[in-house]
Amino acid sequence: MTRYQKRKLINRFNMGASVATTLFGLFWLVWLLWTLIINGAGHIDLAVFTQPTPAPGNSGGLSNAIVGSLIVTGVGTLIGAPIGIFAGTYLAEYGRGHKIASVVRFFNDVLLSAPSIILGLFVYEIVVVSMGHFSALAGGIALSLIVIPLTLRITENMMRLVSDQMREAAAALGIPRWLVITRIVYRAALSGIITGVILGIARISGETAPLLFTALNNQFSSYDLFAPIANLPMVIFQYALSPYEDWHHLAWVGAFLITFAILALNILARVVLRPSKSG
Amino acid sequence: MNSTTQSLSPAGATTANRDTGQSATSGLASTLARDEASDRSEPMKKSTSGVVAKDNPTKIAVSDLNFHYGNFQALKDISLDIVDNEVTAFIGPSGCGKSTLLRCFNRIFELYPGHRASGSIEMDGMNLLDKSVDLNVLRSKIGMVFQKPTPFPMSIYDNIAFGVRLYEKLKRHEMDARVEWSLRKAALWDEVKDKLRQNGSALSGGQQQRLCIARAVAVQPEVLLLDEPASALDPVATLKIEELVHELREEYTIVVVTHNMQQAARVAGYTAFFHLGEVVEYSDTDTLFTNPREKRTEDYITGRYG
Repeated sequence: MTRYQKRKLINRFNMGASVATTLFGLFWLVWLLWTLIINGAGHIDLAVFTQPTPAPGNSGGLSNAIVGSLIVTGVGTLIGAPIGIFAGTYLAEYGRGHKIASVVRFFNDVLLSAPSIILGLFVYEIVVVSMGHFSALAGGIALSLIVIPLTLRITENMMRLVSDQMREAAAALGIPRWLVITRIVYRAALSGIITGVILGIARISGETAPLLFTALNNQFSSYDLFAPIANLPMVIFQYALSPYEDWHHLAWVGAFLITFAILALNILARVVLRPSKSG
Repeated sequence: MNSTTQSLSPAGATTANRDTGQSATSGLASTLARDEASDRSEPMKKSTSGVVAKDNPTKIAVSDLNFHYGNFQALKDISLDIVDNEVTAFIGPSGCGKSTLLRCFNRIFELYPGHRASGSIEMDGMNLLDKSVDLNVLRSKIGMVFQKPTPFPMSIYDNIAFGVRLYEKLKRHEMDARVEWSLRKAALWDEVKDKLRQNGSALSGGQQQRLCIARAVAVQPEVLLLDEPASALDPVATLKIEELVHELREEYTIVVVTHNMQQAARVAGYTAFFHLGEVVEYSDTDTLFTNPREKRTEDYITGRYG
């Protein structure tokens, strides 16, 4: 066998192994999605979106959990995304070469990989205990602790992709630094930063552990930020463990809705990021 | 070698006896660029090579300038004068300090920590290195164009209007006129007049660079610094940029850093040769290229090293 034939053989083997592992990964994903469709999609009806969670044996839906999830996720994003973006801006623009920036970056990475239940416990101690009760706000704060490190990381990376020549060219025109950042660097990094926020939303919309100690759950519809609030992950957790058939169906529907919402957000993030690559 | 310690002043006291053999060397310095440019602007025909502004006063006077990147000294006791309304070229091998000096004029180096300049750079009776100088005002007076074209992520129109809006409050039609004026100055108007609202990054490399020149010209600076403005461009685009530099010299003081010696010969009235952070030789372009005083200059321009 010549060297060339040998090389081709090795190439074919590696190529085959790559395809096989990809198919292996996709197999589980497709199975998971398929199971959700089989068990969840069939039970979706109007009541799911219009009626709150029922008592066992009664008819009902998930409206309070859907609204609650939107509220808690919204609060988490509104608190977490600006902090993450501002901190990322600091690291990318002002923190270069400063020791404090590398300290911030290190602890941000720690926060990024912290187990989410620890974040929930932390917020329980800080917010829930001092308020005296569980609340939607506490849930939002716990989720914001997940959003902050994600958006910070992505914001910093995206702003660093904007070349220093661009900053020099802007500064050379006599443009003050804050305008260089807000009008030029942000605009160049915009699609990347938006992608980061979308991925952050996708990440927290399925989180259960941080809500366990903070937002808890609510059998009824509530829009009160200072009261416990229903949310899809907790309802799924509770209903899936229950002995009632109709609650199982609702749990499947909830899992279906959350999973495909996250899938849609991830696809949206890819679509948003696309134009920046060609431009 | 000790030439760097005394102030080099091509247009000053030494000008009188530097009656350069312009006619003899016009072959080197006259260019296609100029021939093409001449049918657009009449006065260009008369001065096809060498110094066109022999009697012009000094615009920028550099004296005893030292520059450090951290612990590395990149410029050593630089003293030279830049002449008003003329093109001055800085040439020399990579790392010789020519770009560093250019970046001192608008203090753009201050974007980075650890970059320090000491000495004086005087313009209009003011030391530009003085802490009291307002950097943004300084940079609106001294424009700069970089090696790589850097259109801002906005429309062609806004690329130009953005800088202008910071310093002047113009009515809409005045701004339209200013944008057209600067695009015409940069010889780009005819190519973009129908797509001013398109993104600047959609232009070709050469067009982007002319957009950057238009952007710099639009704020009406007194001095234009060009840091290897054509090194990323193809020969046709390079030619256009050189033509442009030649036309702009009538209204601006231009300093151009270039790796390309032919380019220096084509566009510049004066040329300074840098080596290892020193100005080895500084004279009118024809003399420097045809009759250099220093051995190092001669070695460099004849391609023996660098």
